[in-house]
Amino acid sequence: MPTEVILPKVDMDMTAGTLSVWHVAEGDFVAKGAPLFDIETDKAAMEVESPASGHVHNMVAPGQSVAVGAPVAWIYAKDEPVTAPPASAARADGVGTAPSIVPPRPAAPQPAAPQEVHHDPRQRATPAARRLARETGVDLRHVAGSGPKGRVQRADIDNRAHGQPQHGAAQLPSGWSVQPGDLHLTRRAGRDTAPLFLIHGFAADSTGWAPLERALPKDQPLLRLDLPGHGKSPRRSLRSFAELARAVVAAFDASGADQVHLVGHSLGGALALALADIRPRKILSLTLIAPSGLGPEIDAPVLNGIARASRVESLLPWLRRLTADPDRLGEDYARAALRGRLDPQLRAAQLDLATALFPDDVQAFDLTAALRRVTARTAIIWGRADRIIPWRHALAARGDMALHLLPECGHIPHIDTPETVAGILARQMA
Amino acid sequence: MNAPAHPSRTLSYAEALREAMALALESDPNVVLMGEDIGVYGGAFQVTGDLIDRFGPDRVMDTPISELGGAGVAVGAALTGLRPIYEFQFSDFAALAMEQIVNQAAKMRFMLGGEASVPLVFRMPSGSGTGAAAQHSQSFEAWFGHVPGLKVVQPSTPYDAKGLLLAALADPDPVIIFEHKLLYKMKGDVPAGHYTIPIGKAEIRREGTDITIIAGAIMVHRALEAAETLAADGISAEVIDLRSVRPIDSATIIASVCKTGRALCVFEGVRTLGLGAEISALIAESDAFDYLEAPIMRLGGAEAPIPYNPDLERAAVPQVDGIERAVRKLVGGEV
Repeated sequence: MPTEVILPKVDMDMTAGTLSVWHVAEGDFVAKGAPLFDIETDKAAMEVESPASGHVHNMVAPGQSVAVGAPVAWIYAKDEPVTAPPASAARADGVGTAPSIVPPRPAAPQPAAPQEVHHDPRQRATPAARRLARETGVDLRHVAGSGPKGRVQRADIDNRAHGQPQHGAAQLPSGWSVQPGDLHLTRRAGRDTAPLFLIHGFAADSTGWAPLERALPKDQPLLRLDLPGHGKSPRRSLRSFAELARAVVAAFDASGADQVHLVGHSLGGALALALADIRPRKILSLTLIAPSGLGPEIDAPVLNGIARASRVESLLPWLRRLTADPDRLGEDYARAALRGRLDPQLRAAQLDLATALFPDDVQAFDLTAALRRVTARTAIIWGRADRIIPWRHALAARGDMALHLLPECGHIPHIDTPETVAGILARQMA
Repeated sequence: MNAPAHPSRTLSYAEALREAMALALESDPNVVLMGEDIGVYGGAFQVTGDLIDRFGPDRVMDTPISELGGAGVAVGAALTGLRPIYEFQFSDFAALAMEQIVNQAAKMRFMLGGEASVPLVFRMPSGSGTGAAAQHSQSFEAWFGHVPGLKVVQPSTPYDAKGLLLAALADPDPVIIFEHKLLYKMKGDVPAGHYTIPIGKAEIRREGTDITIIAGAIMVHRALEAAETLAADGISAEVIDLRSVRPIDSATIIASVCKTGRALCVFEGVRTLGLGAEISALIAESDAFDYLEAPIMRLGGAEAPIPYNPDLERAAVPQVDGIERAVRKLVGGEV
């Protein structure tokens, strides 16, 4: 009798989840306890271990929503004949529909993550959103859904059809196109030790880590990621935090890194948290600098202002909001920051990303559950004078996590006071 | 509705029903009351009260403890020209009389090619909340609403109780009126004199813009209480009192959901295969579908007989806090 693999309940309110990627192919041998697949819920994403050793068959196709307790695959002993999937032994709660089963097929490598350009033609949308989309000629597949599980709500279509009045649509660059290719990752070699894996925040890029790098030991190996539509990474159409997190996990997997000390700032902090949730065994320590995802409040006009700015004069006032001491940031800094932002398509892509991630100026994703699950040593660094995300979101931390609440420091402690952050990282890596 | 020409007084729901019966007994010699202990005792819930003193035992008849027999006599009397009102002590006991209600009263007009009709009213005290346990607390509106040939109403106020009972009496076909036991003591303005409330017409009890709550009987009041709390948080709920289960006022429901884009059905009967399911389906099949901003949701009775333990009894049917939670979920985009 093969062992049934079910979709586990990983979150309290969870009734269904999306099986995002398999770590094995049909027929592969898997050892008990080895990573088997990743699931995503509307709140979290995580890796699921195999409940038994054997060969995996009758796997559910990735990308589809599966009810909690429904089977996603069966594990067969070595010489056990593989038949049609047995009737499910138990349904946990009778919720949802049984998943459709893909027929056995020759072993083929699974794509690490779905390509963002391939939209699911069956986009979730409320009936009201569909009607409005029909009437206004909006293609639902190009709308970021703000509802549960990425569902497009009527308001999402309203925003699309009428621009984003709350963000001042007048200066929007017109349109942008998706680019192919992998996310850009730069490496700094060093001594033979686990590298720091750095994920920057919204509208920044990996060059923003330079002050911190100067404060770190010269031989500390580094991996720096540019997020989609940021720095030297290709622009992608991302409709939700989950899609963005998927892209980051795929880039992490592709980096070949064995184990890393993970650092994320702001949006990168939320992504680091998601990555630590999905790849817990790969993360030796987790350092979150003013992370998003721990509460709804965020000063979205600043993010939009930075993303939109095309001149030093329009960028500098927003940049000054990032730091506790505005005089520290002069026109030179703004000019340098603007050099990486000259491409209008990059700015447009970032504005669209801001709309998907922060609809109505709210952080639309919640990673507090992931924070509770983290197994790696975790530190949260926050400036007490942060004007972008309230430092009190740090209080979502578990009691055994280190909080470093830096006085006279704004949203960018790694730039305001890189020595302090480097010191904390040294303790994290000890 | 016939506009009442008489001044209003404050009456209880039970008094309003009694007044309706007294008016009918006075104005129509064919009206008779039948039921167990409705005479000298005044009825299990004292709804008939002193009517026997005013109209005598020929018009207010105590029937033996046989619901099947009593209902059968009532059907026969209706077929031969009287207009009986038969009271069940508890709607649960209608199970004993199903043959007469479902197979005889509901069918007769159709099987006799319209040559005969059965103008009778079954009064059924229903619902939980009185500590009367599993066999005396059920809500059978959906059961009887499922039978063509019957009309089914469930008033939620003293005003409606009188108006719907008088409308039921005027109707040429069998009408079942579900009287919620927890409402009998509820007070409200009731005009003196004769007036009717049309069967098949729902009433919007509170106007709102964010969600439509469709409820019946005691659930109307729970929905209104929840709506009041929600209003303080900026959530505007429209509350529809269904009033009539068969025929159902789909037009009022659909128009409201087209306006609000969200629907929550709240009924006391068991949720599975219940009134909420029917209303959800009629919304989904209607023009309102294109206006939905969230799934249609149902609250209803639990998958269990009504328990005797008061805490469990309370938990077995929708309460104010549950309605509030469901609305917050629907309006807050959690579902």
